[in-house]
Amino acid sequence: MSAETETSSRVATRTYKPAMPAGWWLRKGHYFWYMVREFTALPLALWLLWLLYEIQRAGRGPSGYYPPSSTPFVVFSVICLLFALYHSITFLRLAGVILHFKVMDKPVPSGLVVASQFGAWLVASIVIGAVLIGFGR
Amino acid sequence: MSAKPKAVQKPALAHLFWWFMFSQGGLFAAVLLPVHIVVQGILGPLGIVPVVDRHYDTWISILGNPIVKLYLLVLISLPFFHFAHRLRYLLVDLGVPAAKTVPAQAGFYGAAVVVTLLTIYVLFTTAPISLG
Amino acid sequence: MAEKRITVRATRFDPAKDSEPRLQSYDIPFSDDSMVVLDALNYIKSHVDGSLSYRWSCRMGICGSCGMTVNGTPKLTCSAFLRDYWPGSITITPLNNFPIVRDLVVDMEDFMEKLKSIKPWIIRKQEMPLGAGEHRQTMEQIDDFRQFSQCINCMLCYAACPVYGLDDKFLGPAAIALARRYNLDSRDQGTKERLPVIAHSDGVWECSFVGECSVVCPKGVDPAKAIQQTKLDTSVRFILPYGNRE
Repeated sequence: MSAETETSSRVATRTYKPAMPAGWWLRKGHYFWYMVREFTALPLALWLLWLLYEIQRAGRGPSGYYPPSSTPFVVFSVICLLFALYHSITFLRLAGVILHFKVMDKPVPSGLVVASQFGAWLVASIVIGAVLIGFGR
Repeated sequence: MSAKPKAVQKPALAHLFWWFMFSQGGLFAAVLLPVHIVVQGILGPLGIVPVVDRHYDTWISILGNPIVKLYLLVLISLPFFHFAHRLRYLLVDLGVPAAKTVPAQAGFYGAAVVVTLLTIYVLFTTAPISLG
Repeated sequence: MAEKRITVRATRFDPAKDSEPRLQSYDIPFSDDSMVVLDALNYIKSHVDGSLSYRWSCRMGICGSCGMTVNGTPKLTCSAFLRDYWPGSITITPLNNFPIVRDLVVDMEDFMEKLKSIKPWIIRKQEMPLGAGEHRQTMEQIDDFRQFSQCINCMLCYAACPVYGLDDKFLGPAAIALARRYNLDSRDQGTKERLPVIAHSDGVWECSFVGECSVVCPKGVDPAKAIQQTKLDTSVRFILPYGNRE
């Protein structure tokens, strides 16, 4: 007994199923920003690959080493930063929807969960920034 | 319309695992990445602040620290499981149903595994482990 | 003062004659500020064209029958006021992502199958005898699932879901939200029976959290939240040692 046979016995005539248009994500702002959120993966991946390359470059010895300083690289980083911030904000906000705990049998309000996520992001950023800058000379 | 043969359905443990990696990678990318881009990608190159990777000696000595190595492994490799998942579904969303197939999954998640192995290799070969 | 009028375009499709749907335009009086889109359809059916087909029943946002796409957004037509569109025109098309049977009527069979598959009823390992009395719940236990129990099966969330639109094998928002509603119910013991369906490869994992299902839900159910929470709970269940016990 499948859905097909049930359907055809009750609905005598054929149906029309429109195909999803390829540009469906341009129909609504919400869909568009969802696609931007998914796309953030690409610039972030590129920036991390650059970091990996930077580490690998250091292994070649001091003679050929030069710190990155070109304008195109800074522009690339600024673009990646915009996507990274969009990823962080959306991801940490959505995590507030997903994470659900109870403390003393009372559900923790999702606003508090989101606030703690952003707090953790801030603390981590300060610590990492302090290490990156503090050990630099 | 999809006929639904109600045969035995099973929890998809592979999907479960990759989704879990996706969520953890996304979390690490969200919390750790922006400050690296700001400091190492913008402030350092513009010369606004001193940064560890601006001088060879500081950079190579900090890269030798085992805790730094472990941290960099997490920072670089875990997000790639997030990226692999998102980009695979981005292709599905753009109308490429083939991105749902098992070979496509192997390709995308396999790439994340390759990046992980590559990161381990680079971290081990770049600077000798030292506690200094 | 001249009588207010509004232009309504509605999808027409006669499976016996038409190869594909087309839009037909109607110019009707907008006589009362409290008119909703469903009233406009009823006016057309009574006064202009009796052959127009669409589903409706309660006219008060409870039955979930009159869902259609109004100017591109899935809506209960009984709750969409003409005054919010006038003086612009209104285009009414069937719910997206479903096969069209006739005019504004879609085939609900796929959704009904999915709804059944998650067993949306309380499952007990062993039924208690009637004499044992009721299953008692505290207000807090009810609050755990109350939100997800508001679903009226109107299918607006399926029409808003691009994941379902791209591949209708996906279990979909309402079915998963209802599965969660029962899994969270302190009286229910059926989580393990529903697990193979909701954690199947066509289940929760296919959702990429677009979130539009929760935006269009007329009952504030938030299926997107239900799906993401199910993913997390299911992962924890399998990844933590002894998490899979019952």
